[in-house]
Amino acid sequence: MSLLEARSVTRRFGGLTAVNAVDFRVETGEIVGLIGPNGAGKTTFFNLISGFLRPDEGDVLFDGHSILGHKPSDICKRGMTRTFQIVKPFPEMTVTDNVLVGAFNHHGDTGAALAKARSVIELVGLGPQAGKLGRELTVAGRKRVELAKALATEPKLMLLDEVMAGLTPSEVGAMIEVLGRVRDAGVTMVIVEHVMQVIMNLSDRIYVLHHGEAIAEGPPREIVANPRVMEAYLGESFVAEAGAEPAT
Amino acid sequence: MAGLRANWFYLIVLAGLLMLPLFAESDAVAAVMPRGLTGSALLHVFVLIFFFAYMSQAWNIIGGFAGQLSIGHAAFFGIGAYVSTICYIHFGLTPWLGMIVAAAVTGLIGAGLGLVSFHYGLKGPFFALVTVAFAEITRLVLLHWEFVGAANGILLPFSPDPTFWEFQFTTKEPYYYIALAMMLGSIALVGWIARSRFGYYLHAIRQDEDAAEAVGVPTKRCKIQAIALSAALAGLGGTFYAQYTQYIVPDDMVVGRVSVEILLGAVIGGAGTVMGPIVGAFILIPVGEATRVIFEGGGTGTSLSALIASDMGFADKFLAYLDYLAAGGGGGLAIILYGFLLMAVVLGMPGGVLPWLAGLRARAARRTRARS
Amino acid sequence: MSDVYLQALISGLMIGGVYALVAVGLTLIFGVMDIINFAHGEFLMFGMYGAFFASVLFGIDPYLSAVLALPLFFAIGWTVQGVLIRPVVGKSHAIQILLTLGLSLLMQALAQFLFSADFQSLKLDYGSATFDLGGARVSYTRLAAFLIAMGLCAALWVFLQRTDTGRALRACAEEHEGALAVGIDLRRMYKIAFGLGIACVAIAGIAMTPFFYVAPVVGPKFTLVAFVIVVLGGLGNIPGAVAGALIVGVVESVGALVMPSPSLKDLGVYLLFILVLLFRPQGLFGAKGS
Repeated sequence: MSLLEARSVTRRFGGLTAVNAVDFRVETGEIVGLIGPNGAGKTTFFNLISGFLRPDEGDVLFDGHSILGHKPSDICKRGMTRTFQIVKPFPEMTVTDNVLVGAFNHHGDTGAALAKARSVIELVGLGPQAGKLGRELTVAGRKRVELAKALATEPKLMLLDEVMAGLTPSEVGAMIEVLGRVRDAGVTMVIVEHVMQVIMNLSDRIYVLHHGEAIAEGPPREIVANPRVMEAYLGESFVAEAGAEPAT
Repeated sequence: MAGLRANWFYLIVLAGLLMLPLFAESDAVAAVMPRGLTGSALLHVFVLIFFFAYMSQAWNIIGGFAGQLSIGHAAFFGIGAYVSTICYIHFGLTPWLGMIVAAAVTGLIGAGLGLVSFHYGLKGPFFALVTVAFAEITRLVLLHWEFVGAANGILLPFSPDPTFWEFQFTTKEPYYYIALAMMLGSIALVGWIARSRFGYYLHAIRQDEDAAEAVGVPTKRCKIQAIALSAALAGLGGTFYAQYTQYIVPDDMVVGRVSVEILLGAVIGGAGTVMGPIVGAFILIPVGEATRVIFEGGGTGTSLSALIASDMGFADKFLAYLDYLAAGGGGGLAIILYGFLLMAVVLGMPGGVLPWLAGLRARAARRTRARS
Repeated sequence: MSDVYLQALISGLMIGGVYALVAVGLTLIFGVMDIINFAHGEFLMFGMYGAFFASVLFGIDPYLSAVLALPLFFAIGWTVQGVLIRPVVGKSHAIQILLTLGLSLLMQALAQFLFSADFQSLKLDYGSATFDLGGARVSYTRLAAFLIAMGLCAALWVFLQRTDTGRALRACAEEHEGALAVGIDLRRMYKIAFGLGIACVAIAGIAMTPFFYVAPVVGPKFTLVAFVIVVLGGLGNIPGAVAGALIVGVVESVGALVMPSPSLKDLGVYLLFILVLLFRPQGLFGAKGS
């Protein structure tokens, strides 16, 4: 049984089909990459599987149960958490309190939740900034808080929406290291990312979305060699010349 | 360190408040209070402060912590007053128990209002408007319901030699201590909430509902719980008001001005903080009462209508009008000040006085650290 | 249709016309600035007091006052926006609501201080004159208020459609960044919108003084009714507001007939309001969508 399975999920906005009959599977322990050009429907797809949007058609199963129509908080209780591309730290809370809110997901007692929050803060390397307010953080700090909040909910599966965007190369390196630690802690992940280096290094499998449809699926090496993926990213005329990585 | 010092400050104030009635008549108090404000008049002012602090604290749970602006809390307050009073008059239920019934009824109504509003995803100004409409509907119903006295309201039966169970007292001291206990109880309750999962969840909801939902906060349920609790406490306050004033009437209680006064303390002191509503009430009520005492002393005895109708020349009329204003005009100066304070706080220190002070202290500390 | 219902329909349409002008002011401010003005009714109240005192002290006819009020209240709105509202544009709705609530509290209390809490009403020679319309009595002053309000709504509509300033205002209402990008001075637009909105509501008040009492507490009812209308008509939608206003006027006056007491007439309006907020927050006439 797959940890997460989306069956032919479709969502339309007015006349536009943002996500069209996408099938998607994640097995326990995997890191699955989700890529696609801007406007391919990646964030909409995240919203659909995390309960922020309801699919027009199709079904989403988590841990073998349909989560269609469940609220995001309920889905989070069951063990699937997401982060937002436009990060949403609670601006007037300290980093510790931000993460604490997540930790309350499985700990009703403030003391126990605080202990959990502190360990997550150490894991993602936010220790020195624990006392800062959400709004006082740099982009890199916000991205880490976003990740820490999600981790503190103790998810089986984490959906990460562009946690690398806006980071400097050295910050990206540090974040990759953090994600490695998260994987070692046994958390399954789906990552949406524009930074190809990240996707290629981290992912076990990759899905490619284009115009709302899943056009390819497979291990990173197959995906970079797939002509349809090239075409989607660069347009037909470039396919002949393009061989290496698509530009980021 | 700062927190510790604040605790000492609060403890000393509390000790003073506990002992105040013993010295309310003393010369020392008379010496520091303006216009011989001593004895029961002084205690009355403090009852007002405690009561407003309590009501504002009730509002603070939904309006401050959860950030759902209710501008209709006068409705819960009014319904609470009516419920316990009806229980007392028609069923002989002591107001001490009537208070619990009032809280239960207003809590349920609050939950119902929350259920409907939040189920349909009403946010921000739309939720605020629903609370306004709800309060207006409540006022209209009370105003036309003969069973509850309609526009005349209810005069509570006067008992010349009241027993404790009647919740009536011939002196101010018992009311003083009851109001103080209610205020302290509300602080304890909200203080506990602030440190609990529920409190963190409400703060998260106020700051970003989607982000809260994503990390497992059941936002709808929390908001409904918050408004139910807030409404129940406001209803309880209604009972106290009814017993204290012995007279309840829709047009004095369930009006927009009361709804605004209820939220005023919290907003000025610091909405979403434990001590904000208390600090706000301790600023507002003395300022308001002082204004009333100083500027609204006598009045010239002439009414404005009579002045307009008089056959004086324009210049004389104008001078007479200035006299009229100098004597306090038609009243309302305290409320002018409240409105001004509300705008000033919103523009100058949007979080309220307490967060503003905390910000100042943090900045000062940073400067000291930078120097050393 | 029996006479009482015809009478109620006509009275409802007349007062609905005045509500339209109140609501159009509110929706213009909301549309352009995204600000909800809880002090709206207080400007109406001050308009009424202005006309009342102009009449009793100087013998100025309220209809002349209405003309003078346009530049005066436009200037007042312009100033209030520049001093008080501008700092909270773009801030959270809570902050904006609290600010305008504070303003409303202050204006009500100021009116009480200046004019006392007494109810005043203007007695004019022509105040109670009526004529017959198919069995219903129609008061000239109410008809005049209706015509003035409708005329101004129409004028505002033409202004927004046909003039450069009007088009710029509409551009602001649709897209702030876009308006900024094509070189529209947003700050000036905000002042114009607030000035116009305030002038509308004040004139609506003045048009009512010949038949409506004045008191410091008269405002909140109109604020709430205007919100009802604006929500009915769709936020920022001017023709929608006019239609919504006529509906509310009729619901109110028919409500006065069917309710056990005429003063319960507002109950129907508020219930309608809550139902619309819950089930059609985009308004009765708006398109379904985000």
